[in-house]
Amino acid sequence: MRTKFAGTGTFVIVLLAALALESSTFASGPSSAKDASGTVLVNSAKADIMRVQGEQRFRANCSRCHAAPQKFPPRMMATILRHMRVRATITDEDMRLILFYMTE
Amino acid sequence: MHLSGRSRLLQRRKSVLRAVAGLCFSLLSLPGVSVAQAPDTEKPVPILSGALAYLNFVSGGQNLIDTQFNPVLLLPLGDNWLVESRGAFEGQFQRPPGGGTYAGPLAKTLDYFQVDYIANPHVTITAGRFLTPFGIFNERLYPVWIRALQPDPLILPLATASSDGAMLRGGFSVNPSINMNYAVYVSAASIGVKGLTAERHVGGRMGFFFPGPRLEVGTSWQKTLQDDRKNAFGFHMGWQPPKIPLNLRSEYAHSYQGSGYWIEGAYRLSQARFWQKRLRRTEVVARAQQFFNGEIGANADSQLGLPGAETREADFGVNYFLRDGLKGVAGYGHQFSSLGNFNQWTCGIAYRFLLPLGHVGAQ
Repeated sequence: MRTKFAGTGTFVIVLLAALALESSTFASGPSSAKDASGTVLVNSAKADIMRVQGEQRFRANCSRCHAAPQKFPPRMMATILRHMRVRATITDEDMRLILFYMTE
Repeated sequence: MHLSGRSRLLQRRKSVLRAVAGLCFSLLSLPGVSVAQAPDTEKPVPILSGALAYLNFVSGGQNLIDTQFNPVLLLPLGDNWLVESRGAFEGQFQRPPGGGTYAGPLAKTLDYFQVDYIANPHVTITAGRFLTPFGIFNERLYPVWIRALQPDPLILPLATASSDGAMLRGGFSVNPSINMNYAVYVSAASIGVKGLTAERHVGGRMGFFFPGPRLEVGTSWQKTLQDDRKNAFGFHMGWQPPKIPLNLRSEYAHSYQGSGYWIEGAYRLSQARFWQKRLRRTEVVARAQQFFNGEIGANADSQLGLPGAETREADFGVNYFLRDGLKGVAGYGHQFSSLGNFNQWTCGIAYRFLLPLGHVGAQ
């Protein structure tokens, strides 16, 4: 005899517990140095490397579905990249580099 | 120790649940690599985006005017949250058999309305109505301004109706030459294509992307949680050779409702040595596909949007990119089916818009 699926409740409870634990340890601190005005300090050599890598990641990830778009203001690109991170499951590192490339 | 069939089933289910819960716990407990707090000039701003399209289909001599408005709302909250939604307003107008003015229904659907929480670099938690992650077409290629050919693949209705429930998903680098992406979900109900009855299901998708050769391969699975508990599964691949502007994609899907595959190649003429100004904006596309009947009858097929008979189809098309987000499309296809063969012509225009709903400063 087949039984109805009964484990969904347990699954959700465990998931919520794990999420609660994770949320308590998940801090959203800055990952790069900033000056007093909030501008991220990135030296030019590092910026060049990030730009090249960002373009490579754009070609590898985004151009699978999109033609190279015009560049948008940083605040718009930040939203678009967050959306695409979820939609296209691109990695965190790829998202950061693409965001850097698209807003430079 | 002797166990009855029911006890064994329950025990097996408990162990599976423990394994799944353990996996979820492990993923969620990974060290939280923080999301950088952006300065105010880079804080994400709400966006209204979407697509507008005017398409003309001539199938077997019958003309259909298809107009679409698909708004997408993106509402970022804080550093880790995103509310996103897409609606679809589609009018399909035909001239009555005896002649007269074009008329037809206007369909309104909510494709997705979901809340995403980026828990850590490896896990995003989604709740609400979402596009079912089965294959790649439904989630990534469906919008009219993205798809290379306007007619849907024949197998699109298989296991891709929107889901209402919760999902875990993410992507991460396994090593410098392999990225992995995954999605697992539980759905309390699904909103069917053309009014399919709601159902509960679980499923998932896993893919491996090789950035070097730009190759992605993956598989999808879905299990219905009622009545006969049918399974559906699929495979997908996408390949963009680094040296030529070719985009090759393919999907296979199998379920009790039917099975089939499509394979599509889109080639951008950007390497042409003549008429460069025009040709670099031009893309030529070809698609071959086949559908095999499942266990359901022709009426149910029709309700789902499936062909209703063994079908083969070949499509060709040309896209011309007038500017970013605006393209003209034209296509021709021929369908071979036991219900009758026919030609299908397509032409039209698709536009993607993108508007910030807040101050963005100078670009």
